[in-house]
Amino acid sequence: MEYGLKPLGREKFWLWALLTPTFIGLIFGALGSVIATVLLSFAEWDLLTPPTWAGIANYVELFKDEKLLRSLTNTIKFTVLYVPGVVIISLFVAVLMNRRIRGIGLFRTAYFLPAVTSAVATALVWNMIYGKDTGILNFILERLGLQPVCWLCTNNAMYAVVIVNIWGAIGEGMIIFLAGLTAIPHEYHEAAAIDGANGFQQFFRITLPLITPSIFFQTLISTINAFQAYDYIYMLTRRGGGDSSVPVVVFSIYRNAWNFFNYGGASAQAIELTVIVAALMAFYLWLERRYVVYE
Amino acid sequence: MKYRLLVFVMIVSLVLTACGGAKTPAASSGPVTISMMMWGDPAELEVWNQIVADFHQATPNITVKVEVSDWDSYWTKLKTLLSAETPPDVFAMDAPLYLDYQSRGVLLNLQPYLDKNPDMLKGVYPQTLEAYKTPDGMYGLPRDFQTIVLFYNKDMFDAAGVAYPTADWTYDDLREAAKKLTVVGSDGKTTQYGFYSDLWDMELIWSEALWAYGGDVINADHTKTLVGDAKAREAWQLFHDMMFEDKSWPDSNTAGEYGGDPFLAGVAAMTTIGHWAVPGYADAKFKWDVAPMPKGPAGQATSVNSAGFVVGKASKNPDASFEFLKYVLSEPAQKRLAELGFACPVLQSVAESDAFLKQKTQIDQKVFLDSLAFAHMKPVFKGYDEWSSAIGDGMAGIWTGEAELDPTLDEAVKAADDVLASSK
Repeated sequence: MEYGLKPLGREKFWLWALLTPTFIGLIFGALGSVIATVLLSFAEWDLLTPPTWAGIANYVELFKDEKLLRSLTNTIKFTVLYVPGVVIISLFVAVLMNRRIRGIGLFRTAYFLPAVTSAVATALVWNMIYGKDTGILNFILERLGLQPVCWLCTNNAMYAVVIVNIWGAIGEGMIIFLAGLTAIPHEYHEAAAIDGANGFQQFFRITLPLITPSIFFQTLISTINAFQAYDYIYMLTRRGGGDSSVPVVVFSIYRNAWNFFNYGGASAQAIELTVIVAALMAFYLWLERRYVVYE
Repeated sequence: MKYRLLVFVMIVSLVLTACGGAKTPAASSGPVTISMMMWGDPAELEVWNQIVADFHQATPNITVKVEVSDWDSYWTKLKTLLSAETPPDVFAMDAPLYLDYQSRGVLLNLQPYLDKNPDMLKGVYPQTLEAYKTPDGMYGLPRDFQTIVLFYNKDMFDAAGVAYPTADWTYDDLREAAKKLTVVGSDGKTTQYGFYSDLWDMELIWSEALWAYGGDVINADHTKTLVGDAKAREAWQLFHDMMFEDKSWPDSNTAGEYGGDPFLAGVAAMTTIGHWAVPGYADAKFKWDVAPMPKGPAGQATSVNSAGFVVGKASKNPDASFEFLKYVLSEPAQKRLAELGFACPVLQSVAESDAFLKQKTQIDQKVFLDSLAFAHMKPVFKGYDEWSSAIGDGMAGIWTGEAELDPTLDEAVKAADDVLASSK
């Protein structure tokens, strides 16, 4: 899957010079913590007394902890709803934004705004939208003669937080797709138009195949983000003691480490999450080899 | 993001552990600086800086550096520092969590110091000392305490023509009054609720009611959860009926829409909470006052909980740290705390003086002190945080109206007992 330009001569020097800071950060930051997490996942550690060897006890607990199993179900459900949502909607938005009209910069900025706004602040705004008695959404529903809905009650909360998370991710997805779309030479569309292809045919026969690399990349990033989603979910569904009405695995990891003096268990859960994501990535890379078109 | 942060903090803590060993102990004589860490807000930091300045004036060779964080970050930070063996010299402790730290050997035993200062704890409310006692002495000292009382919105009572709560109120009176104080608009929506209190943690209402109905929270040696016993169930049933039959108590989803505090938002006529709420409520646009907790079939009950200070076992300045703890319990420091108005002073002479009773916020402050007469201590045991989460999380579905009371309670009790079994 090699593509793009190969660095030559002096460029090679700059390649390494520019990558060095990142590598240092990865080796001393990420790699160290990855090793520490792996080791601690085999230990019982309460942070305050020295860790003791626990064998695979923490891993056995992964299959017995009912709260964790429920969280895992939530994480998977969240991912299944979130990833296609982000990919399809941000692609749609990018196609809309990929034209030269007056004020397009304003629209693009508007879609990107959630990505640079504090999640806590925007979640507070969404709270005002979703409120059962005081929310804007139910106010509109009632004006239309419909029954109000309890958006953040347990039955609906999953969908409500997925919507907010997708909304928050459209901006970044749009940027990725815009980059892909602008790279497609105009000639392709012009030639197709002359041959009588309509807009839909052009999109599905030309645009879509040519941006499969962007779709692949966006799917991968969204999946990783889905497994790490925390801030919007916390702000919209939090309960006492760091709990949530839609607890995902990250909640379980955080509470076990910081509230329950169970750092070993939290590490094992973090490893479990990593293994699941890694397996998905392997699957995606297999799909990439089969379906992704690089020019 | 939090997950990445977690890994990062872990690494920092490992690096800190490595660096920690290099420090040399400070000389025992001469000026020393001790670090002090606590949870709190900016107003509290200001008062503590005052207390520390007063202390420095009285004891010129000791300087105290105060660091304040919000509740959640405080505990994360503290655990990281403790695991790196570089804890602050003095740090704040919430009584229910005390044994989780004491039992892990990170706190300094203060008993030898207390034995040398036998008069030091004279005049301190004995109920506030109880939590810090262990078989081999005290590892912490209280600084202030909280009793839970009934707060009521006078304007709403006046408008509904309901008599203010008295010391003789029962839970039945509370329920009746709450019904009368609930207002439903012409569109069928409730615009005012009679009562609201949060049901996640035991401290705000449920432990008090369970005790008043003759039930209990946990057995004496902390091996069995008792919140599902017959008498306790009567109290749970009362909450449930007020919420879903009378509809005089908003469910937790509705309460969330009012920032989690419908009383402060001016949509609930009564609530039960501690003194820490007073400064926030002082800015409310309605008149309010406080009354003792209602009586149940087994009498009157409330909860007492204290916040205190402990000294890190790894502290290089234990003597200076103890001097500061001693000062915190002195009259001038307790007076400043009383004026701050977040809690009740533990020194009886200050609590019963005008410094506490005649505060800026003109309410019946004596109610908080008189409540000690029938107060039960908020339980203190190892594994408290996880145990209380098992109950709080387990029952949350009931208070959103999505789960049945009895089977859900049974499940929560089982989950809580599992925690007790595993944290022995």
